[in-house]
Amino acid sequence: MAKTDGTTDSRQPLISIRNVCLSYGNFQALTDVSVDFYQGEMVGLVGDNGAGKTTLIRIISGIIPPTSGEVYFDGERITKFYPKKAIDLGLECIQQTIGICDNLSVGRNYFLGREPTKRFFGVPFLDKKKIRDASAKVVHDFGLRDTVDVDDEIALLSGGEKQTFKIARAVTFRNRVIIMDEPTNHLSVRERAHVNELAVQLKQQGLLVIYITHDIFQIHRIADRIVIMENGRKVTDVPRDAMSAEALEEIIRDGGRTPAKGVKSA
Amino acid sequence: MRQFIGSIVRRHPEGVTISMVVLISLAFAVITQGSWLSVGNMQSLSQLTAVLAIMAFGEAIVIATGEIDISVGSVSGIGALAFLGLAPVVGSGLALLGALACGILIGAMNGVFVALLGLPSLLVTLGTLFLFQGIGYAVTSGFSFAATNSVRQQWIYNAVGNSGVAGVNAGVIWALVVLVVLQLVLFETPVGNRILAVGGDAASSFSRGVNVTKIKFGVFVVSGLLAAFAGVLDAAFIGYADGSFGATMELSAIAAAVLGGCHLTGGRISLIGTLFGAFVLRGIQSFLILLGVQPQWYILVVGLIVVLASLADRTLTRFALKQ
Repeated sequence: MAKTDGTTDSRQPLISIRNVCLSYGNFQALTDVSVDFYQGEMVGLVGDNGAGKTTLIRIISGIIPPTSGEVYFDGERITKFYPKKAIDLGLECIQQTIGICDNLSVGRNYFLGREPTKRFFGVPFLDKKKIRDASAKVVHDFGLRDTVDVDDEIALLSGGEKQTFKIARAVTFRNRVIIMDEPTNHLSVRERAHVNELAVQLKQQGLLVIYITHDIFQIHRIADRIVIMENGRKVTDVPRDAMSAEALEEIIRDGGRTPAKGVKSA
Repeated sequence: MRQFIGSIVRRHPEGVTISMVVLISLAFAVITQGSWLSVGNMQSLSQLTAVLAIMAFGEAIVIATGEIDISVGSVSGIGALAFLGLAPVVGSGLALLGALACGILIGAMNGVFVALLGLPSLLVTLGTLFLFQGIGYAVTSGFSFAATNSVRQQWIYNAVGNSGVAGVNAGVIWALVVLVVLQLVLFETPVGNRILAVGGDAASSFSRGVNVTKIKFGVFVVSGLLAAFAGVLDAAFIGYADGSFGATMELSAIAAAVLGGCHLTGGRISLIGTLFGAFVLRGIQSFLILLGVQPQWYILVVGLIVVLASLADRTLTRFALKQ
């Protein structure tokens, strides 16, 4: 198994992306991206707008298939890309704009796609008590207001509360990978600290956390490894200690024109 | 107070329609000096409501996913013609199955174009509306299909036709059965949760592992099936059907659903409200007939109601979601 630039990890990667390209018509969103992610690490995926971060995680979470290249999960090649498959493999993606249906209650959103059921005469009916109790416990454990009723429509929650809800939902089903796409956007300072704390806890529990952000200084404090993307290519992949946040920021500011420096210093 | 009203509108969108039913019932009864409320009128009104409601339930399920099915009028016509055309040949049991199969097939056809190929449901079902209306005219070529005397003796024909229990028409019982089943499926099962989720936010449901294509395909099949069944009930009750059978019924079905509190943007619907919506429309129709107004005016009223209800729909949604 090829080692990732800058890591000395000899374990098998949990997710391995090899020479992945993705194009929409003439537009090349990803060009020959290869990157490995390991169990129990937090990787900061950084880059400017349009660098291809979100596109890359959309492939990993099964929303779109790559045009070419290979994706391996736990050593096994993935050939079919659809979200249910990724979820079944234990991969949860907390995305910026999607993941919540405003018209459903908090509890129904919590279990959407894996609703608990009780059978009557062989017909699976929603186990409403379980939906209510399990989701209430989780959202309140994660610090949602006591006044939040899980039977209320989720549209009533604030932006930060919705983000907390998504994280709570992602971590409480036995998962192996949590991908966070700009999880602290539009959050207050306190909510931001809370989300970052949660991310570190997940990593400490042995999960792979892929954390996408613009903010190199924020992620440099908590990640184990930083991957920088630019124009659909991976330009830097270094352990956190190998480079300072300032040096990494310079790479992003240069638009990835100095990748060699970053990799060499690893 | 605003929040309180907002939450009622959100949770019980049918409330407005039900109060409307009470009000217009009183008004119509007074204006017609009781004849609108007479047992005879109520019996025919309930049968007409039942047929429209079954069609509107299917429409509501499609609306729940954020799509629309305009073809239901023609599908009910095809269902009626298939039933009456086949019954003398193969018996009313097989004819019923044949009619329902036609509905399922047309629904599946709509589903393929909308769910699999991603075409706009408004255009696709407008196309199938005319396509099957044309087929209806072609098959009957100006004549009408009527139930023969031997068909009228068969128990299945009567079970979907002109029979009843304790003064309640068979159609009404069927409508209540369909209502209970759909209500359970929509609000008490995982499939129902996913139907509502797709209408609320298709991209989000997809990211949660919901098979959006399957759900959308499924609702069009259900809509086709129910429209055909409504056609069978109507045809078996009346005893004959021609090529124009079911024409303009799609407008009434959509109006009933929207009046009943189904939001055209998807995700929020009420089946009980839809039933009351159907009753309001049929009530207005019979009121106009009792007043001696030309029946053609009914379609004008339905058109007006659809436009006004859409406006109210948007206003109410905005009001309910504002905090």
